[in-house]
Amino acid sequence: MDKENRHHLWLTVPALLSIGLLFSAYGLFGWTSFYRATPGGLGVGGDFTFDNYLRIFGSWRELAVIGETLWISFALTMISLVIAVPMALVIARSPSRLVRSILLFTLAVTFLSGGVTRAYAWMVLLGNKGLINLALVHLGVIERPIRLVFNWLGVSISLVHFLLPFTVFTLVGAVKNLPLSVEEAARNLGATRMTTFFRVTLPLLSSGLVVAASLTYSLALSSFLFPLLLGGGRVRMVANHIYERLFVAYDIPFAAATSAVFLVLSFVVILGFAGLERLVRKVVVR
Amino acid sequence: MNRRSLERPYGRLVPLTATLACLFLLLPVVFVVAFSFNDGAYFQWPPRGPTLRWYVNFFESERFMTATEHSLKVALIVTPACLVVGLPTAVAIARGRFAGRDLIATLLLSPLIVPGVVTGVALLALFTAVHGDLGLGRLLIGMFVFGLPFAVRTMVADLLGLDPRLEEAARNLGATRLRTFFLVTLPQLKSSMLAGAVFVFVEAIDNFSISVFLTDERSAVLPVVAYQYIRDFDDPTVAAMATLLIALSCALVFAIERLIGFERMMHINRK
Repeated sequence: MDKENRHHLWLTVPALLSIGLLFSAYGLFGWTSFYRATPGGLGVGGDFTFDNYLRIFGSWRELAVIGETLWISFALTMISLVIAVPMALVIARSPSRLVRSILLFTLAVTFLSGGVTRAYAWMVLLGNKGLINLALVHLGVIERPIRLVFNWLGVSISLVHFLLPFTVFTLVGAVKNLPLSVEEAARNLGATRMTTFFRVTLPLLSSGLVVAASLTYSLALSSFLFPLLLGGGRVRMVANHIYERLFVAYDIPFAAATSAVFLVLSFVVILGFAGLERLVRKVVVR
Repeated sequence: MNRRSLERPYGRLVPLTATLACLFLLLPVVFVVAFSFNDGAYFQWPPRGPTLRWYVNFFESERFMTATEHSLKVALIVTPACLVVGLPTAVAIARGRFAGRDLIATLLLSPLIVPGVVTGVALLALFTAVHGDLGLGRLLIGMFVFGLPFAVRTMVADLLGLDPRLEEAARNLGATRLRTFFLVTLPQLKSSMLAGAVFVFVEAIDNFSISVFLTDERSAVLPVVAYQYIRDFDDPTVAAMATLLIALSCALVFAIERLIGFERMMHINRK
């Protein structure tokens, strides 16, 4: 049996070729970050240099784009979590099959209907003469249309819409695994619903929350399409910055260096989340 | 505590937030469908009455039609390819005992956390370096490499959760390993294979961040053409395209519900 299991290695050969291709692409791309762009076209040449990295770490503008991306992604992750927890609770616990189905179908259809579709819909909805502004003026909330698009507000609204299904889907499993009896015991001992939620449910859920946060955060970090369409060039995240370096400035080495710095930062953040998850599990579960 | 509150699993705030969140999620989807039938290039209130103008526009546009053909081609080639390559890989990762198994698993799943733009530019750099002018082939390779980890991950999670006694029973009753795999193991993987396929299919049709780097004028796909259209024109033709995609995703959701049930698929996705 063990001998046969060793033959399993051969089964992975096609996948290994695919991984090999991808990593040679990453490797080559990373390697170009140590050279210079040749004028005209997407060429690379010159001597080995750390110039591109020095340019990033020496410029506040470059660092600001990275910092802003890290910060806004964090804020969006927190917002998504706050909305996702009640949704996951209903999906996992609602006694009505109809209610559960409505939520699941809403999430699935939103999730599957695609990025371009949703980014476009938000562009029209949030425009100066869009439905949202019209409704707000009509209801008397505001006097004249406010700017909801081509700024961080529009990008954030559309990104939460994009991230939410992912967050909920990762949380549902964790909520399903919660032992209901512990919460019932807390209630029986006289704890209010609020106290039970914050002192029993949330701590038990913390490991699942960290996993969901980590996925949501890495998705938020890599957002590209939503800031591109709803940011209208005024709001940029790192992915948009890399794209511009490439297709506006034709500077592959600089785009590569920015990608490398960004990738290292994302890995650090994700490793941080993994560490946090282990820590939380140790503290809560004991 | 009385009986009634035991039956209610949460307070009022939870269903209220969930309802608002559902409305928030559905708003753009419902809006874009309604907008696609609006007889006017801009949004206005009250809406002007139903027209199929933008659908005609979409189907008569050569750019959109070529892009649709390309997108479908990529999705229909990449999805089965990811499943066929992903299945044996998932079996090896879940069941195999060989040196470097964990390393392979880690390497295989790591692209999931690399931003799509980075993967896109890196592949573009590679294709440029080897002068690989493959037309649509660039995107086919790119989407395959990108989609494979999704397929493998869902199937590995499913394989690890299977009851080994079923396979042992089949083996004890004299079935060969191959027969056991096809008659006992494979049928149990139905839901994760479907989940993986849906994921890869949707990603192949909808992915923007990789497609934008790996396609050019001749190999343009739907999301890229739609983006260019939004940038250059101002009319609801993209809303018509969006409505067609939403209809497709509704059809997918209903097919999943009929085939295995959504809640079951969610249960599988727990890992």
